[in-house]
Amino acid sequence: MLETLCYEEKDALLQNSHPAAVMLFLAVLFFQALLFAHPLYLMGIFIIIILAVVVSGAYEKCEPYLAMSLWVAVLLVIVNTLFVHTGQTVIWRSPVLPVLGRLDISLEAICYGAVMGVRFLIVLLAFALYNAVVHPDKIMSVFSRFAFKSALVLSLSTRMLPAVARDLTNVMEVQQMRGVQFGTGNLRERLRKYSWLLEVILISSLEGSLQIAEAMQARAFGSGPRSRYQRFPVRPRDGIIGLASILSVTLAVYAKARGFADYVYYPQLGTLAGNFPALVWPGLIALALLPVVLMGWGWRHCLSWRSKI
Amino acid sequence: MPASQNNIPVRLLLFLSLAIAMIALLLWKYRTLLIQDWGLTATLLIVLALLFLYLGFERSAVSVREIGVIAVLATVAAVARVPFAVIPGVQPTTFLVIVSGFVFGPRAGFMVGATAALVSNLFLGQGPWTPFQMLVWGLVGVSAGFLGLLAPRTGRIGMSIFSLVWGYLFGWLMNLWFWACFVQPLTWQTFLATYAASFIFDTLHASGNIALYMILGPQVVKVLKRFQRKLVFTITPTNP
Amino acid sequence: MSLMEIQNLTYYYPDSPKPAMKNIDFTLDEGEFILVAGSSGSGKSSLARVLAGLIPDFYGGRLIGRVFFNGSELRDAERRLLCSSVGIVFQDPEKQLVMTSVEAEIAFGLENLGLPQDEMFRRISEVMSFLGLSPLQQEFTANLSGGQKQKVALAAVLAMQPRLLILDEPTSQLDPMAAEEFLNLVERLNKELGYTVLLIEQRLERCFHLADRLLVMERGEIVCDAPAAEAARWQVAHAHGFIPPVARLFALLDCGAIPLTVKDGRRELKRMLPASTYSAAQPAANKIPQRQAPREKLSQNPAVLEARDLWFTYPNGREALKGINCSIGRGDFAVILGENAAGKTTFLKQAAGLLKPGRGSVAVVGKDTRAASLPDLVRHIGYLSQNPNDYLFQDTVEEELRFTLDNLGIYDHGVIENVLTQLGLSAVRGVNPRDLSGGERQRVALASVLVANPELLLLDEPTRGIDYLLKAELGVLLQRLNRQGMTIVMVTHDVEFAAEYASRVILMFDGRIASDGTARQVLENSLFYSPQAARLFRGFADDVLTVRDGIEVVGKIIRTGGELVNASKPK
Repeated sequence: MLETLCYEEKDALLQNSHPAAVMLFLAVLFFQALLFAHPLYLMGIFIIIILAVVVSGAYEKCEPYLAMSLWVAVLLVIVNTLFVHTGQTVIWRSPVLPVLGRLDISLEAICYGAVMGVRFLIVLLAFALYNAVVHPDKIMSVFSRFAFKSALVLSLSTRMLPAVARDLTNVMEVQQMRGVQFGTGNLRERLRKYSWLLEVILISSLEGSLQIAEAMQARAFGSGPRSRYQRFPVRPRDGIIGLASILSVTLAVYAKARGFADYVYYPQLGTLAGNFPALVWPGLIALALLPVVLMGWGWRHCLSWRSKI
Repeated sequence: MPASQNNIPVRLLLFLSLAIAMIALLLWKYRTLLIQDWGLTATLLIVLALLFLYLGFERSAVSVREIGVIAVLATVAAVARVPFAVIPGVQPTTFLVIVSGFVFGPRAGFMVGATAALVSNLFLGQGPWTPFQMLVWGLVGVSAGFLGLLAPRTGRIGMSIFSLVWGYLFGWLMNLWFWACFVQPLTWQTFLATYAASFIFDTLHASGNIALYMILGPQVVKVLKRFQRKLVFTITPTNP
Repeated sequence: MSLMEIQNLTYYYPDSPKPAMKNIDFTLDEGEFILVAGSSGSGKSSLARVLAGLIPDFYGGRLIGRVFFNGSELRDAERRLLCSSVGIVFQDPEKQLVMTSVEAEIAFGLENLGLPQDEMFRRISEVMSFLGLSPLQQEFTANLSGGQKQKVALAAVLAMQPRLLILDEPTSQLDPMAAEEFLNLVERLNKELGYTVLLIEQRLERCFHLADRLLVMERGEIVCDAPAAEAARWQVAHAHGFIPPVARLFALLDCGAIPLTVKDGRRELKRMLPASTYSAAQPAANKIPQRQAPREKLSQNPAVLEARDLWFTYPNGREALKGINCSIGRGDFAVILGENAAGKTTFLKQAAGLLKPGRGSVAVVGKDTRAASLPDLVRHIGYLSQNPNDYLFQDTVEEELRFTLDNLGIYDHGVIENVLTQLGLSAVRGVNPRDLSGGERQRVALASVLVANPELLLLDEPTRGIDYLLKAELGVLLQRLNRQGMTIVMVTHDVEFAAEYASRVILMFDGRIASDGTARQVLENSLFYSPQAARLFRGFADDVLTVRDGIEVVGKIIRTGGELVNASKPK
């Protein structure tokens, strides 16, 4: 489980772009999901992120996240139904229940729960997409520019993790062969057995840490000011991704500040498409991000694009 | 670290007041924009707090040995997320972050916690929980570090209570963000409901922490202290 | 002027009353290839660390004496300059890579030196091309094989363009193929690019002939510093064993010129055997424990371990065992040879009951591993994994042994005492096992397995990374256990060890058994899995597996050669 990264090479556009641009794109999606509560705005972003997932070939990685957000949506509907009695359009009124009394299930509560479920899903998908398209190595390379020591700790730890996980399996086997029966006994006994496991790993790893430190010292670590090796070229696609993201987020903040994106759920659902900006703005915000998805599609289907972008 | 040992309470106060001042300032400045969007505010605060803590590590003078130790402890804490999953609620990561912070200080404690969260999720899958786990485990480490500096003789009982408190706080801080982002209206009823939903998990986490500390705390602290001595060494000067 | 010069150096690790090195005098010239040999704890690693500037900068302690680099004293050298002039590759590939991709790893040292981007790019691309790492450029370092990791570590050091390259047992954790490849690279670096190399190594048969000089260290001192052939002769005279089989054989025979490779050796044999310059001089008391000749026939005893048409596929889809049929009788000492991923370790785990057969069956002491529970099996099986550190976590050696007994619910009636004595661990019974040396750690791990008095002992590569003395100790110990009735199955890459001690050899390839029989049958007929002595005598004599056999054969041929022997003057 801990021996392979989530990241998997799929030859997608976002995997072949500058990590900073990709991070910006995903951050913008994440930010907008939290910025808006208006169903249409969220729907626009949702479409974009679904398309981005599809063109990146990351659907498989996102499946578990879909189930998770469904659960959250249900949970939110329940919480809203139980505790928010301000919804006016009552669909179903329950008989009198013990403790809780009579419950009103309102359309507003259900809608709000569902929309928040979508919001949660967008947030999850932004992270899922991140897992699928950004190799940890790339992100560390970007961060090492600003926070070198932290990035070093991070990359060291990432690099060691599969080995430690393997060690853990080995130690577990060794202890089984020395007569330890994992998974039997009461809680206290089980914890004791696992503590032996933990102790061996801890001691062995700490011993290893000195060797690692020595290797870093031998390679001139901390011998004076460092320079930074830049590995990732900037190509037109990175510029397009960056510009699209910035444009979209600017539009989003503007729409939010002007109050176009306000929407009331309680006590009664507001009208969705009553006035002009309500329809145009979410479209614009989503449209601004569309080039990223288009490029992602072209990367797969029009190979000649690759040399242009 | 030994040089600054005397003014730790001062630094702790400074740290806290600075954090509070920052939060207050932010809230005041953006009160109109953010007042309806607590979710966004909460997220921003998390990111800022993390930046602030990382900055602290970046600006400190850590030795190459310390970097090695921090990375190794973080790795073990990250790996520990998996095999213990057979015992529900037991979260040895929290336990390991606590003992690491307690023995190696707040700075190392933060890095161990934050790194363990981030790195384990590179393999298990990142999600909106990542920044949270980073911050909360980081804070667990920082607080355990200050505990170790201010009351290095805290015994088994004291540490167990400390672990218990963090067991609950861990879930509560996580809930706070979820509540602010996805629940509306933000009333005490919905607040309590969100907390009630996770109460069982939090209790399991907290009691798991106690059990872990009671059973293997002293032993692991001993292992870490034994190793800590290897971090300092002396070069004896000799006449040429 | 020499590149490096050490004058009268003595060094104490912090808190250690005993010097790790004493009275070292030694010079190193530009372009030389120096091989350093010595048992563990002899100070060879400390020497490497002094030259790399890690002692005392990283380790602390007390250093007396002077070290010169390029004419100026090392302690005055700027660290940055020193790091870029002396590169060092360490033993464990897991413990020296720090970044998450190959390219970033190579860049790490250059960034630390603060080089400009263009210069870094040029050096990185050159090093990657030279070492053939370009296809792995963006690979996650944790996913590489051991050999690849070690190559990356070498690349990372080479990119810093050192004038002296130090290699501290770089191949001890690698399989023979990867080790060979690595040492070939080192040879090219020295011969084609003129690098100065200081190599510390246990697998001497692959690098002995490359060295300009051999340094033998013992108890912190350099006891021999001479060209390889001369050093071989010196060692034979002084009962040291850091000599590969070919050179050992000819040094023991006291030939005029000592050939270092199989090719030269065969030429020498051809020259020698008809008209011999043989002298009967036998070496004085040899420090190597004397082994007994392995049994020549497979035992007909009832099977302790029996696999019937055994198939196994890992959950990730890798089919590791494909129809294994094998029966190991009570009292066998079986060695399983084969390349990486041939299924050796998988088979061992099947025998231990840690893995259950996919199809077919495995029976241990008559119990089907699928039907019997693991706790039921472990009473009969001892299992020693590759890494002794996986065993050690108790506060003392004695407690480590008691841990196994307690888990198995065995009452200690002097068995701990017995095992401690048998493995020579009585003196360290109260010591924390983590404070022991590598060889002792392995013995403690083995002891913690032996206390349960298993009928079947399984060992996974126990000779990896240990020197010849420890290897001989282990071999003799295993033979003794074997004679006391313990059945032993051991996975190894070490053909020489198999030739010396095993009674039976199983050769695996691609999840199947390619060859199975007595050690002699299998090893003599094998092309690659044959010991150096067998390769040397191929065509001359058929039953040579070890140096001892070789000497006997040479003696016999010469004796039957009649007057030729009489003509040669005895020494």
